[in-house]
Amino acid sequence: MTAALEITGLVKSYGSMRALDGVDLVVEAGTVHCVLGENGAGKSTLCHAVAGSLTSDEGSLLLYGESYAPRRPADALAAGVAMVHQHFSLVSTLTVGENLRLLRLPDLAGRIARVREAYGLVLELDAVAGKLPVGVRQRVEIVKALLRDPRLLVLDEPTGVLGPAETDALLETCRRIAAAGHAVVLVTHKLGEAVRAGDHATVLRGGRVAGGGPMAELSAERLVPLMIGRSVGALDATVAGAVGLEPGAVEPVGPVTVGPGAAGSVPAAVEPRGSAPAALDSAGSAPAAGESAGPVPVTADSAGGGADDGDGQRVGGAALGLSEVTVRRADGTYALDRAALEVGFGEIVGIAGVEGNGQSELMAVIAGSLAPDDGRVVLHGRDLTRAKPAARTGAGLGVVPEDRHHEGCVPELSVAENLHLGRLGEFKRFGVFLDRPALGRATEKVLGEHDVRAPGAFAPMASLSGGNQQKVVIARELALDPLVCLAASQPTRGLDIGAVEAVHARIRAAAARGAGVLVVSAELDELLALCDRVLVAYRGRLLGPVDPRAEGARERIGALMVGADGAGVPAGVGQSPPTRGPSPSKAIGAH
Amino acid sequence: MSAVAEELASGGVRMALPLLLASSGELLSERAGVLNLSVEGMMLTGAFAGAVGAHQSGSAAVGVLTAIVAGLLFAALQALLSITLRADQIVTGITANALALGATTYGARLAFGDGAGAKSLPGLDPLAIPLLSDLPILGPALFEQTLLGYLAFAVAIALALGFSRRRTAGLAIDAVGEDALAADRSGLPVAFIRYGTVLLTGITAALAGAHLALSEVHAFSDNITGGIGYLAVVAVIAGRWRAWPTLLACLVFGLAQSLQFAAPAIGLHISAPLLTTLPYVFALLAVSGLVGRSRAPSGLTVPFVRAS
Repeated sequence: MTAALEITGLVKSYGSMRALDGVDLVVEAGTVHCVLGENGAGKSTLCHAVAGSLTSDEGSLLLYGESYAPRRPADALAAGVAMVHQHFSLVSTLTVGENLRLLRLPDLAGRIARVREAYGLVLELDAVAGKLPVGVRQRVEIVKALLRDPRLLVLDEPTGVLGPAETDALLETCRRIAAAGHAVVLVTHKLGEAVRAGDHATVLRGGRVAGGGPMAELSAERLVPLMIGRSVGALDATVAGAVGLEPGAVEPVGPVTVGPGAAGSVPAAVEPRGSAPAALDSAGSAPAAGESAGPVPVTADSAGGGADDGDGQRVGGAALGLSEVTVRRADGTYALDRAALEVGFGEIVGIAGVEGNGQSELMAVIAGSLAPDDGRVVLHGRDLTRAKPAARTGAGLGVVPEDRHHEGCVPELSVAENLHLGRLGEFKRFGVFLDRPALGRATEKVLGEHDVRAPGAFAPMASLSGGNQQKVVIARELALDPLVCLAASQPTRGLDIGAVEAVHARIRAAAARGAGVLVVSAELDELLALCDRVLVAYRGRLLGPVDPRAEGARERIGALMVGADGAGVPAGVGQSPPTRGPSPSKAIGAH
Repeated sequence: MSAVAEELASGGVRMALPLLLASSGELLSERAGVLNLSVEGMMLTGAFAGAVGAHQSGSAAVGVLTAIVAGLLFAALQALLSITLRADQIVTGITANALALGATTYGARLAFGDGAGAKSLPGLDPLAIPLLSDLPILGPALFEQTLLGYLAFAVAIALALGFSRRRTAGLAIDAVGEDALAADRSGLPVAFIRYGTVLLTGITAALAGAHLALSEVHAFSDNITGGIGYLAVVAVIAGRWRAWPTLLACLVFGLAQSLQFAAPAIGLHISAPLLTTLPYVFALLAVSGLVGRSRAPSGLTVPFVRAS
């Protein structure tokens, strides 16, 4: 076999921090090579070094046996190395077609047709890139990379923004690219994906190679300790879900078979709480995890409370209620079509669905950044449909937005400022000046409580890792008094295992304190393990609910996600009846 | 009445020509993300260098070439500062303009002698195109230009067509101006494109300056541009960063200026200073969104850094 890529002794430092500390890696042609690791392990840095987005300090690269030292992305592209970026490389004001034309490739239409045929990736060329849902943008990004027919394709955390169906399609695409003789480097922190799609795996930790080898010789329970330095059994079921580790896929003995079929054939859905990760337990390394008094103490309390209440959780009316919320897009289609839901006090409600089915708009309507064309948003009996964001915050609505970089925080400001931006008035000295010492003390306290690892209260938000940034955002929203309802969108996207645990614990703690919690997530396993009820967004409607503890919940949700008929799905409290038929746009005139 | 209209039209076109040249280059720079406030200084430099070249050589053609070289050098400095050294584009632009004003004023003393100025330089004479120039009203306005005047039209139209969004080159410029990081990752040479547009602006602005000194008055006087460069920036804004609307804005601005001379003849008693404010009112209306949606390129004045 030819080595498509051979990396020797790669070093990249930022100041005193070594992002890559002597990494060796060999990627064979015709294989999918997974690079695993937690956030900050150096995965992205490695990708960027290969794709020419940054130049390494030391070390050498060989591409198909030839010396390869890209100084800019154009060099890498010319050498046949394409990268699918974690944060997209599409110009958002241009259309999809214009973005592809930027590549200046001969016979573009032919190439697009060939990629469509070979991989089943269909694009809407006239759509403006910035207006597409992230899942679709990701597809454009992949097509863009494939158009060049690259010898080596690097995908940096491509599934972070995808739904399960899209993830499957992507992994299948990776397999096909490899089958065509090219090399694929698939970077992920989701073990399940690596197990399903990878031929080889290399685990990075702290900028070094922690281990790896052919996937057939590796198993999830051998990979996890390499990634996090802890054993599998120490993981909560929810956390396992969030890292894409399907409990059924982790067999206690024997090598893990690779193949897309593995995931679909796991009937044993994650049991939420209580009898948590049966399969993980059977790995034998953590006897305690079977109890609800498991690894996350806060969880246990909230879980107990929620479960005992059974169906009576909606005490004292709903924390958050949406009725008939309708949002029309400019082209006349419906982003939200009479969406309705209720979140009871102490209840965690999840919204599942393939990206782009109205979840983003739903959150925007709740947060107040998008005015619905019709319908009402009611927080504990107060109509907030037209209220400004500040009024919503004042009424006790906490919002953790999907995009924490652009909406959740101001990266240039300090952690302290971000935490207290909405109430800097509480830290006044002499009436006009900011009481920085007091602000710092308050911040240090919050950082300690939420286990945020930051260089200091006044360090810029941008200097924190993604997980710690998210912890700050969540800490800020949880600090609302009173907190009536917390609405969180993709709260654990892109976070490493430790941070996922922390975020989940906080969400459960909020519910335990009596707040209603609405979680929008692309991670089905996360929702199954975290929520009391799960609704499914499909073409702007909310279907369900599905009881995640019921038998076959995963399959039911999966069916709803792809728009399979709502037969057998109980109409939920406050649910609009699912409109049948392909065109939901007609329905509105009726009322 | 038709004599007045003719005067208005030819005056308007005369005023619009240098604007047209300067703003067609400026538009490209801004679309690529570089705000060339120094276009005023580039014009002034071009006018001065053109005058010196013509004066020394006795040839207007040499003057025009000298202007282009000087404009390129000036633009290269601006590009180095704002693209490579990532200096603040507004600060460098304004500073460069002040520098150009001082340097050319001082240079004129050296080159042409104190007070004497550069009167009667070898310049370019209007070439009337037979038949076309006999057309009523627009004939003399459009078809009695100097070579530089015709060139101005040609350059403005060629740049508008050649770098339209429908062409790959125009698309690349827009991509660089909107999102340089994405453009870089798509394999576009960000710095090269930005340098290219700024240097092109240097050429068009210098030609505009040379036109003022060599076609219009055959003389160089202190601050001969008198803010036309700023007006070119305003025309780009009023044209909402699109080529044809910018071209139209230049013509409207030219007419507005011409109106101040023609106003008494048509019985309009509006104070001339008030009329000169018209272009800026247009620009304010344009950016305030009162005349359609207006949005500057997202990456305007934002330097590009690759390292993450």
